[in-house]
Order: sequence, then structure tokens, then C-alpha cells
Amino acid sequence: MRKSLLIFALLIIVFAVCSGCVAEEKTVVKVVPAGSLLLPLEEIELEYEALHPEIDIQIEGHGSIQAIRQVTDLHQPIDLVVVADESLIPDMMYQEGPEGVNYTDWYTPFARNEMVLAFTDSSAYADEISTENWYEILSRDDVKVGFSNPTLDAAGYRTLLVMMLAEEQLQVPGLFSAVIGSSFDPELIVNKTDDGLAVELPVLLQPETNSKVAIRDASMFLLSLLESGGIDYAFDYKSVAIGQGLRYVELQPEVNLGEEAYASVYDDATVYLGFQRFSTIGNERTGMPVVYAATIPYDAPEPEEAEKFMAFMLAAFVEGGVGYPAPL
Amino acid sequence: MKQLLLILAIFACICAAGCVSDPYADIDWPLTLVGADGTEKVMTVSQIAALPSVSGNGYAVSTVGIKYGPYKITGVPLIDLLDQVGGVHEGQTVHVFAADGYLWVFSYEQLLGEDLLCLDVNLKEMKTPATMTPILMYTADGVPYPYDDGGPLRVATMTAEPDVITEGSLWVKWVDRIEVHG
Repeated sequence: MRKSLLIFALLIIVFAVCSGCVAEEKTVVKVVPAGSLLLPLEEIELEYEALHPEIDIQIEGHGSIQAIRQVTDLHQPIDLVVVADESLIPDMMYQEGPEGVNYTDWYTPFARNEMVLAFTDSSAYADEISTENWYEILSRDDVKVGFSNPTLDAAGYRTLLVMMLAEEQLQVPGLFSAVIGSSFDPELIVNKTDDGLAVELPVLLQPETNSKVAIRDASMFLLSLLESGGIDYAFDYKSVAIGQGLRYVELQPEVNLGEEAYASVYDDATVYLGFQRFSTIGNERTGMPVVYAATIPYDAPEPEEAEKFMAFMLAAFVEGGVGYPAPL
Repeated sequence: MKQLLLILAIFACICAAGCVSDPYADIDWPLTLVGADGTEKVMTVSQIAALPSVSGNGYAVSTVGIKYGPYKITGVPLIDLLDQVGGVHEGQTVHVFAADGYLWVFSYEQLLGEDLLCLDVNLKEMKTPATMTPILMYTADGVPYPYDDGGPLRVATMTAEPDVITEGSLWVKWVDRIEVHG
């Protein structure tokens, strides 16, 4: 009797294992990307996991600085960091962590983006706006413009850089004030010196009620406001506008922060944020081309798997897709 | 009667032994409050929890759309807490510092529940409810707020109504210092 019970129990175990009830544990690879990469990375994750069913790619989007802070300040176990500003990796990660080793000593730049103006069919002057006249349209009193919070989102301070550069490079005096500056009290002023252009933001960046400017914490809330008609135009990355299926107008290369050849023009403009949100990075943001980069932290729990996924991801960005930033 | 006395005696012993105790007593997390005139006051979580509190609903969303909550939350309204160091008034700002080096700044109007963006469960903008109150939260869903989630002290926005979502940047984790400026 006992023997038959033992055989019966063994049979149940064999059956359970064969039928997958005792599943093999997957290897988790944790990825923290910038928010503007979430759409492509979701696709890449699915493709990778289909090819490697033993791997579970876990993606948690953040702003680029917050993505790095998961490693440097919060000491989370992260396998791959992917940011929308290549300069942040050396600035924040080429320094010793608690074990006396740099968080990383390398990064791979892999894609670029540029700022555009996203809009919908319902936007004021939607059929009139073009690369040649966008700044004139935005200056009109009845046009509402939105951008994300410069303190929270790189696309936010990049908007201010674009508008400063546009006034200078496109030779439109008063443009920054007409589109953005005059919506604040006190007005945001562009300081022009021999060192370049600079805007100092107040501690609380709140447009006046019923002004032409709206600010939201992040791109997804800004685009939601655009689609509901709360604003006519939103500054955002080209890949995000395409990924969301929005119409957009491209800006001149000397102002769109998308061309390496204009790097020396972009770095004429600087934004000083109203307060230092993170103790580990200052409040100065200078113009430079928008370049995406990836790195694997020294203490990544799964460095080999992270390396394999990163290689796959880089290849996917070279191939491209809808909503993907352009490869370098 | 003897049995009743015995039960009462056991209960008294339990209380004396600290088995029915302050749930915040063992939390070593000093909070420094700094008034506009430089007045400083350091408070323990226990002392904060002993102040008049409010309870309601809290729900946040990150900049990439990840929702946190909904929670049933309890805490002290920030505007009331700052009365400990002379209060906060129109035109002043409140700087909330976190142990991880994060800083967020609130206006006086925001502490009154104004100028705060509210979203519904579909993340569409909605009118800010009149009950909106930024608080220093120490309890969520009936238990002391855990360290791993940003406790023991975290800024939260509380409403009487359920399903009112606010932007996560306001929900400062691991709060260890609050200063009134201006």
C-alpha cells in the first residue's frame, strides 16, 4: 500500500513538472530608460523575450536624471541605464559608489532626437504653420503653447533653450518674451552677455492664469492637454510626436538641438533652474545635441544578460521603427 | 468576579509591558522644521503623529504614467505642521528636503490645496476638489508608512473624494527637513 502511494506521488510530481506547473524561474534584467524611450523599448522587450523565454526584461521608465539616481543615490539593483542626455552619465556616474568603484566608466551613444512642435488638426492655424513661420504663429495672442516642467523633464528646459536660440539665430527680437517670457510674473528675461544667452528661472515656475503658456510635469500630460484642446502646440521630441501619431512641424537645425554640426551654436544658451532638485547634480543646463546613451552599472546583478540585451537594443535602434529616435 | 479581575490584571500588565504601544515609538527619523525667521524645531515621528491629523484618499502618478495607490492615508496638513515654527504665509515658499538629496518647493497657495493639477483615473485633467490637502503622511492603509515606499514621512496630497490623482513629483519621499523661505 505504501509503495503504491509513493509511486502515485512520484507520478504526480513528474506530471506537474512536465506540464509546467513547476515553472523554471526566469532571469530578471532590470532596465531604467528615459520616458521618451518607453514606446520603442516596450516593442524591443517583447521581441527579446520571445527569442529568450528564460529572460524577463523589466522596464521602469523615469526622467533621465531619476533613472541614473536609481543607481547612484537610491542604490537599486539596475542592469541597464538608458538616458536621453549622454552627458549625464559621465557627470553623475563617473564617480565612486559606496564600494570605492565608479558606478560606470563607459557609455555607448546610440541615437539622436530633435525638438519639434507637436499639434493636432484642431490647433489654431494648423493648416498654416510650417518650419518657416512657426515662431510667428506661436507669437500670436490667441495661440496657446505648452511644454513640460524644466525642473522635471529635459524636454522642458530644452524648450527654453530652443526659444532662446530661435530669437538669436532666426533674428527675431522679442520672440522669447512673446511666446514664453511674458506669461510669467515677473517676466522671464533672456540675459545676453559675451558668454552667451541665459535664462534664470524662479523657484516657482507658474504661468499667470489665462496666459498663453501651460506647463505640465511630463510629456504624457502635456500631450493629453494638447489632444483635449487645452493648448494648440506642444514642444516635444520628434520621436515622441511620431509615436503618439501627432502632427508636427520641424524646427530649423540651428535651434532644434538635433544636429551635431550645430553643437557650438547650441551651447551658447543656458537655463538655470529655479532650485537644485537633486543634491547630486547642479541646476545649470546648457544646450547640446540630444543624444541617447546606455551603460551597465558596475554592480548590475546580471551584467552578462544586460550586455546581451543592450546589444539587441542597439541593433533595434539602428533598424528603427515608429516612435524610435533616429540612429546616430 | 475573580475572572474579571484576572482579565483586568492581565490587560494592565500588557499595557505596562508596552505591548499596546505607540507604533511610531521605535522609528528613528528626526524631522527638522525651520521657520522663516530661522527658528528650528526637531520632531520625532511619534510627536508628529500626536498632532491633530486628517485622513482621506491619496493617489499619485509618475512622470511616465505609473500609478501609485489608491491609498487610505493619514497625516498632518503641511500648513498646520509649519505652525510649529511660526507658520507659513502668502508670498512664502516651503522647501521640502528628502534624505536621498531630493528637494521640492511648494507655494503657499499649493499648501492650501490650490494650483495643484488633478487627474482622474484615466489621467484626464479634472477640477481640483475643495478638499485637496497636502499633508505629511505617516500612515497608509492603516499601518506606519514603510521605508521602502518612501516612509516613514512622505508628502502626499489627500482628498475626501476617491480616485483623485496628483503628480508624483509632489510626493516627496523620506522627508527629513522642511524650511519656510521668504
